[in-house]
Amino acid sequence: MSATSSTDVLVIGTGGAGLRAAIESFDQGVSTMIISNGALGKSGATMIAGADVTLDGGSASRIGLTGNELDSEIRFLRDIVIQGYYLNNQKLVEAYVRDAPARTKELIDWGTKYVWDGKRAVISQGVELNRVLVEQVRKRNIVFTDDVYMTDLLIDENSVIGAVGVDINRGEVKSYRAKSVVLATGGWQRAYSFTSAPGGMTGTMHAAALRAGADLVNMEMVTFCPNVILWPPSLKGDIFPYILIEMFGDLLEKHGRPFLRDEYDPLIYRIATTTEWNKLIFSLAATRVVLRGDGSPRGGTYYSIKTVPVNIIDEAEKLYPGWKWLRTDFSSLMEWLKAGNAVEVAPAAHYMEGGILVDEHAATTLKGLYAAGECSGGLFGANRVASAITQILVQGAIAGKSASDFSKKAKLKNVNKTQLDRVHTRLSAPLKRKTGVRAVDLKKRVRKIADDHLWVIRNGDGLKQAVSELESILTRELPRLSIQTQSRAYNKEWIDAIEVESMTQVLLASARSALFRKESRGVHYRSDYPLTNNDRWLREVILRKVHGKLTLTTRPLTITKLRPPQGKFGFEEGILRAVKVLGE
Amino acid sequence: MSLRSIKVRVSRFNPETDSSSHYQTYEVPFEPRMTVMDVLDYVYENLDPTLAYHSHTSCHRRVCSRCNITVNDKPGLSCHTEVTGDITINPLPRYKIIRDLVVEGL
Repeated sequence: MSATSSTDVLVIGTGGAGLRAAIESFDQGVSTMIISNGALGKSGATMIAGADVTLDGGSASRIGLTGNELDSEIRFLRDIVIQGYYLNNQKLVEAYVRDAPARTKELIDWGTKYVWDGKRAVISQGVELNRVLVEQVRKRNIVFTDDVYMTDLLIDENSVIGAVGVDINRGEVKSYRAKSVVLATGGWQRAYSFTSAPGGMTGTMHAAALRAGADLVNMEMVTFCPNVILWPPSLKGDIFPYILIEMFGDLLEKHGRPFLRDEYDPLIYRIATTTEWNKLIFSLAATRVVLRGDGSPRGGTYYSIKTVPVNIIDEAEKLYPGWKWLRTDFSSLMEWLKAGNAVEVAPAAHYMEGGILVDEHAATTLKGLYAAGECSGGLFGANRVASAITQILVQGAIAGKSASDFSKKAKLKNVNKTQLDRVHTRLSAPLKRKTGVRAVDLKKRVRKIADDHLWVIRNGDGLKQAVSELESILTRELPRLSIQTQSRAYNKEWIDAIEVESMTQVLLASARSALFRKESRGVHYRSDYPLTNNDRWLREVILRKVHGKLTLTTRPLTITKLRPPQGKFGFEEGILRAVKVLGE
Repeated sequence: MSLRSIKVRVSRFNPETDSSSHYQTYEVPFEPRMTVMDVLDYVYENLDPTLAYHSHTSCHRRVCSRCNITVNDKPGLSCHTEVTGDITINPLPRYKIIRDLVVEGL
């Protein structure tokens, strides 16, 4: 094991949340270190984001954008909370709408190029946001380290005093001492086999936080993007058809029928094709089609633009010149679609509403530990309808400020050697076993459990099976992981071993939460409890480790502005009711 | 099931133990439109777990560029380069090799 490095604030994760947290922390006058499991600006979900920044239109017009003078922070909050099925922590939403204008203005002042701005959004690209944020990090004396996969938190008297990870290129376990730690590690979408998220998002720090005693919240809430490309392999996981369907085209079942238009209320169809409710509605409808046997050969549905006049399609090309979107060339796919073909698409694990429990200061339930962006939970309740880019900027800045404030009053603690040895032994154990289970095989088994039981439509029996299979993997298989590769340098088997352990732990957390919530709410849909039950389930589901055992509990909603209605209602009725309220 | 297979020649080099790189050849079942990343995944999962190639934070969207390699002497991203027949895969030239196809500084 190599020597321990020290810093005031340690930021883990180099997507937008981590970068913004590091900038804020440094600007508050404390030494700041930021660690990536990949490379600065080249890992995490920010780089592949579309990407829009959202803020209320009134504030947008005041900072010189188009905006909408009739709009306000409270209206924006209301839309987010109603469409989040009231599960949102309203203190987090208040911080979001309050700080969104300042974070947006700062991005523009830092030279972010954007392509378009409207009533409530500024559209740029994830690569551009990363470019600007990385430039700001490099301008400051912030220490950054690439390719260190963080796996554990170090604890002293219930406070976080540092973290441990594996330097992938050198194959060494490394430890870091810090007065406070910010987690900004994104979601855990890679625990599913089909996802729109990049590699590395396997929930290692969710699992570490849970092991260390931090609370997780709303882990049952997973957003699926409904029309993500299944084939060809080079485009697999791309959400471009989801971008297109906002303009034209439709999803078809295997007989070529547009199932959403044919089988649902016309108003539901209109909402699905014109609002941010699109992910939720299309995912549920598409999954029903697949489950009844009317899906495509690869287990999805079909995206088609066959009924759209060619000149209308050509007109849209002006928005995406040469049919290039982000850095991918879709021109041959577009030609193929224009010729009347349909591309196979399916719901992909896309965004995690749940995560590490935080308050409005980004503080977790562990002293000295803060969390920002997608790895934190509670902001978007049961359904995200506003920008996750704004989330990472707002929460990143708050976490950076809180962590630096805390560090000013804290002391660097010496790392307990027994604790460090225990982590080291656990991490290196698979390297010492020459026979046993291969992590790459176990990953497939674990992902199959997620695909089968934690997909868009869940039910009690399936979730019980998921819990029992995951518990068995945790106790019987993970302790038998073995690695054949002798070299420690970029040892893929070791990376897989690290990832499959956290994947199993976060999926178990998600399955237990999903089983516990006996209702359907937003993206969490249970066929055995199809009603949204506001009389019983206006509560957040909390997971924590007590005396080594995973314990479930609930807490009442955090309500500051908007009181939820009582009653029970079905999926479509719930949406139609909400639209009625929003339309007033 | 795949009807034919392709020969895949991959440069192997471990700076800790090797004085120079050498090629290792694998036979991989061919699937239409498969990418170099699919080929490498097949080798790693089914034939040789010791192979090193960058994939742990791969974006699959031409953005991160960390899976850059050369295929038949032409540089390209392994996640987006499609395979049509036998291939030779090398690490990107002029970069220090960490192991096999993984280089420093990408």
